[in-house]
Amino acid sequence: MSEENPPPGKQKQIAISEFFEKNKHFLGFDSLQRSLITAVKEAVDNSLDACEEERILPDIKVEINRLKGDQIELISQDNGPGIPRGAIEHVFGKFLLGSRFHAIRQTRGQQGIGITGVVMYSQLTTGGKTSVISKVKEESSAVYVDLGIDTRKNKAIKSGERRDVWVDEVTGEEIAHGLKIRTEMKAKYQRGKQSVYQYLRMTSIVNPHASISLVVRDREGDVIEEGHWPRTTDRLPTIVKEIKPHPHGIHLGTLQRMLREAEERKMTSFLRHNFSGVSMRAARDILSKSELEESRQPRRIKAEEAQRVLDCFQKVKLLNPPTDCLSPIEDLLIKKGLSKAIDSRFASTVTREPRVSQGNPFQIEVGLVFGGDMAADGPIEILRFANRVPLMYQQGGCLLTKAIEAVDWKRYGLDQPGGKGIPKGPAAVLVHLASTNVQFTSEAKEAVATNEEVLEEIRRALLEVGRGLKGHLKKSSQRKKAREKFELINIILPEISKKSSEILDREEPNLAPVITQIMNAVFCEEELGWDNGRKLATCDITVFNYTARARAYTILAKWPESESVRMEDNLLGGRKEARGLWAWRLDTLDPGSSATISFTLSGLSKGDWNDTEIFFRGNGDIIGANRIDEKLLEEMRNREALDAAVEEVRTREDTVVASLSERADYSDEVDSEESPEPDLGSLVIDQGADE
Amino acid sequence: MSFSDSKSKEDVVEALHNVAAEMHDKMLKGVAPTMTLPVRTKTNIGFDDKLGVYKYGKKKTVRDATSLGSARQLLRSLHVTEFIEEMINTGKSSTLREMYYISEAWGNGKFHSQNESNNLAEDLEIVTKCLREDFKLRPEEDGARIIGNVTFEERNRRGDWMRINCRDDVGDSGYGVPYNVESEKLRLVDEDIDFVMAIETGGMFDRLIENGFDEEARCALIHLKGQPARSTRRIMRRMSDEWGKPIVVFTDCDPWSFRIFASIAYGAIKTAHISEYLATKGAIYLGITADDILAYDLPSDDLSKQDTGALEAELSDPRFSSGWWQQQIELMQELGKKSEQQSLAKYGLDFVTDTYLPEKLGHPDVGLGY
Repeated sequence: MSEENPPPGKQKQIAISEFFEKNKHFLGFDSLQRSLITAVKEAVDNSLDACEEERILPDIKVEINRLKGDQIELISQDNGPGIPRGAIEHVFGKFLLGSRFHAIRQTRGQQGIGITGVVMYSQLTTGGKTSVISKVKEESSAVYVDLGIDTRKNKAIKSGERRDVWVDEVTGEEIAHGLKIRTEMKAKYQRGKQSVYQYLRMTSIVNPHASISLVVRDREGDVIEEGHWPRTTDRLPTIVKEIKPHPHGIHLGTLQRMLREAEERKMTSFLRHNFSGVSMRAARDILSKSELEESRQPRRIKAEEAQRVLDCFQKVKLLNPPTDCLSPIEDLLIKKGLSKAIDSRFASTVTREPRVSQGNPFQIEVGLVFGGDMAADGPIEILRFANRVPLMYQQGGCLLTKAIEAVDWKRYGLDQPGGKGIPKGPAAVLVHLASTNVQFTSEAKEAVATNEEVLEEIRRALLEVGRGLKGHLKKSSQRKKAREKFELINIILPEISKKSSEILDREEPNLAPVITQIMNAVFCEEELGWDNGRKLATCDITVFNYTARARAYTILAKWPESESVRMEDNLLGGRKEARGLWAWRLDTLDPGSSATISFTLSGLSKGDWNDTEIFFRGNGDIIGANRIDEKLLEEMRNREALDAAVEEVRTREDTVVASLSERADYSDEVDSEESPEPDLGSLVIDQGADE
Repeated sequence: MSFSDSKSKEDVVEALHNVAAEMHDKMLKGVAPTMTLPVRTKTNIGFDDKLGVYKYGKKKTVRDATSLGSARQLLRSLHVTEFIEEMINTGKSSTLREMYYISEAWGNGKFHSQNESNNLAEDLEIVTKCLREDFKLRPEEDGARIIGNVTFEERNRRGDWMRINCRDDVGDSGYGVPYNVESEKLRLVDEDIDFVMAIETGGMFDRLIENGFDEEARCALIHLKGQPARSTRRIMRRMSDEWGKPIVVFTDCDPWSFRIFASIAYGAIKTAHISEYLATKGAIYLGITADDILAYDLPSDDLSKQDTGALEAELSDPRFSSGWWQQQIELMQELGKKSEQQSLAKYGLDFVTDTYLPEKLGHPDVGLGY
């Protein structure tokens, strides 16, 4: 890699410290407060990336101690693979050598200049060195070394190197592998929205597989802030694949460089081998439209010819780039991450399908939590992430914020003064953009630049969680009303009866007809629970008939059906109506009687399933359940059948390489079908009627 | 007909039992229990020509147990009924506050605030046409203070009648009006005054006393302490009835003070069921009027949002339907200002007694010049 990047200043000597000083605003070291966050960020990002590559569940500890003046000691320790002795110098002294620059895949470390910047900043502000302890599991002892940077030669200076056994300070046990960095710097610890605490809290939300802790001490050694975010899943993020660039995302300069460096002898093979999404047919098409012969040598292509090729990239039908280069967090894990950081009553998360904008695959995930301890009077909390990295500055100018502002939140139950802008209420909204190429507004990489396709995708995802919130609010208010009614007839009314009879010295009246008159409705109540012994999620649905007539219903319930989640106990049987939707036909409910449906699910962890939706079919409304929309259900079934067919075709075609282009045509067809995606959330009809 | 003509124990118990019976009968019929009571808002008070005060009209509201809140109210009424019956049988009485605390033991029938229990006691008074005295319930509300050359006889705790002259036998704080001012407790025996002046604020009450206004103007001064308690209104009514003395009311100039006056002169909305015992028809509003703010160029404050809302509500309150009140309220709305009694101090401490009150009392409409 270093061969590709000649060290700066070969022609002109610029002191590296001068470069740092000039560019510290986008390197993240422009204020005392931000410098500390940046330093923590570089250390933690490195730890997470290293653990991810080695498939280790990360344990990361950050310690911040105030020293004299505005000096701060920062200690960061992980249980990652450690750095082999020979590479330490390279990792900590490598400056401006962005190793990830050419790799087209989703990575955290697209920001800043890495841990070298921390060593640099420490040296510039305190003159001190950064101490590193590194232990790799293949070696019996750890390497202890102090590092500085030779600003003229742009390389690390090692000193005091020794080897020793590394023992955990708390447990006294020998540490098998890991990395510890200790450095001193001029910095300021501050609380609030832009703090180390908030950065780690946000990081833990999108890295539910990591355990992260923070301790901050003042000069006297007293703990002034503490955070501990334990891991909530043992599932590491999937390994992302590197992909070749897609023609739609390429610039002329890059194309020319690729042509220059090409090893292929023919343009057709050059196009097919160096880009994703280009089939033989497409390559020929591009060349014929560019009026270039297929056998032309890539190295001999002139600038204006390259421009023609570039123009023709847009005129030819191309396959989308593969999207397995993206690593979404996945909705269930976002939910876990959010619930661990924020105490709430309701959480809804959505991971959208990957999409492509200008040749760059991207994927949107959003989460919304509501209620609980969150402040009800101020604006909602916005949690922005790009490739699992928290964005903490420039909230107003960020596309992710604009997408939140573009939603009419009043429709979903959040207060939005003036009908636009950031909504108010006890809620937090998370937006995660995963992409091989996140476009930022500036080098500081704190705000995502405007892109209509990305914005629309976020907006759609937000509408989905918004619908969830609306349903939740409606259900809570219905549930509250139902609870009150139950309290009324089960507790208060019998007391009125008893007390009035006592006072008057009369017989107690029969309350059954009174109850029917008061309720005059069918109620449905569901309770989700957890069977700890059997590790099963439980669901009980009870339907009470408090009307004067017998009623007959089919009850339908939503459940998180998937390959790993199965229905275990289900005494009433019933049948599957659609994916994730089960139906039970109830026996006739006489006035004053009730029936309960119980079932359990395996393949979930405690707390995974805390919200369902109940639908019904039959005469007369049920309070606490919605009448199912048969038309939408039908459409859903059709779509499922279609998906199954597509899947089958795909499996068959995967064995036949030549069918690639056909597949593209087919998937294009599916993509362009702009029908609304029916989902279970919209299965309710007459939604407006009862509002 | 006297206010103190208590109903017999049996009558009270029967009236309370009727409330329970309404609930029980409904349940026997298979419908939700109910309690029927008059609507207690300004939309349901009307002038009673015979009594000369405002009383509840015919609008009834049915509180039925189809909502949790109403059902709780019904249950509470039953607990209160049982509690009152017990007190009647054992010869005890309790304060409203004590009842509120006693309700702690009533489980689902307990009160969540004293306001709730006070309101329910009033509800029961209205429905049963009994008074809270019949229920053995006492207020702990602060009665008024009186200073002036009037003499009462009050029966003390030992049962002896004690003679008190409100000028000679009291200290600076005056005679404290007890919560029961009916004839079995209090007699109006002698007076040497021309009129009675009720004053809203303690500051002004003390100013008039310091300036010797009671002797100079030959009047009894009553400190209302804000919205006057039932006993305060009742003693004024008795002074008016038994001594034939005019009652003049001197308050701040703001919408809440207007309501204080209305409760004295016309009857309060909350106690419209007993207006004929509490209200003194013919009581005169002396000031401060909206006109005074202009005429005396008084220091004033802007009306708050609540003030504006209260004024607006008063425009449609039947008790303020007279032309004079409508004009005063509209003028106040126009000015957007309110003034306190003590703003008269702008012209010195004696201005109120040397100039303002003599001028107001001497006005032909009042005719109490001295």
